[in-house]
Amino acid sequence: MGPNREKKGSHSSTSPCANLRAAYHNCFNRWYSEKFVKGLWEKEECISEWQKYRACLSEHLDDKHLSRFLEAEVVVDPAIQDDSGNPVDGASVGGRR
Amino acid sequence: MVRAYSQEYVYKHPWERVTSASWRKYADPENKRTLSHILEVDTLNRKLDPQSGKLYTTRAITIHAPGPWLIRKIVGQDICHCVESTKVDAQARSMQLNTRNISLQRFIEVVEKIQYDPHPDNPNGWTICRQETSIRIKPLSALASMAEKIEQRCAEKFVQNSAKGREVMERICKYLEAESSGIAL
Repeated sequence: MGPNREKKGSHSSTSPCANLRAAYHNCFNRWYSEKFVKGLWEKEECISEWQKYRACLSEHLDDKHLSRFLEAEVVVDPAIQDDSGNPVDGASVGGRR
Repeated sequence: MVRAYSQEYVYKHPWERVTSASWRKYADPENKRTLSHILEVDTLNRKLDPQSGKLYTTRAITIHAPGPWLIRKIVGQDICHCVESTKVDAQARSMQLNTRNISLQRFIEVVEKIQYDPHPDNPNGWTICRQETSIRIKPLSALASMAEKIEQRCAEKFVQNSAKGREVMERICKYLEAESSGIAL
């Protein structure tokens, strides 16, 4: 639980996870550019970094709106969920709806 | 009231490099100064489909957007959380990012869609970025005229920020290019 929640809307809520976050993001960025885009996507990497970082987030993420995404089965945006291989909806907006 | 904007931009870098830069856009400490309105970026969720080479990611982006005093008073905060959902299809070489605010939804809804694809004229060398932003102010009759002003400010801020975002993207692409050819900057 978030023990010392200071002011509401304080933005430093996840800063205790800053080191774990950096470790995960560094690992992810390397994996993305050196493997994933080069066709080596069969193996998920950075798993231990992700688990540590995620555990920290679930402890420190105070914002209810955000923490539900931690539990979600990923992909919350209906526009992006479309997996038919088509471009996302509204590929051309141009004006107002 | 809805305002929608669309922009296109061509990066003279391959899709692989541009999308790598996109992931680093907010996190890179060197860019903290340029994109100073971004406070934190956290990855909330991720999923890889190892059969098809599709990657789904959800990130939280915390933005500091201080407005005029009166607006802060009404809104009660100047921190805004956004959620960014990304899908990358490595096989099709396509990346889509949708970002929407989850704070302040009573007042405003901002949706930004970005798509990175290989440029048809030079698919292995260039990348086309298509960006659409729509801003909707919720109707609050008493605040209608002020809402108009907020919308205007918001729109201006978005246009400024996407220009800044492109600068950062160009810089990271150059860096990655140098890195991949073994030159240290």
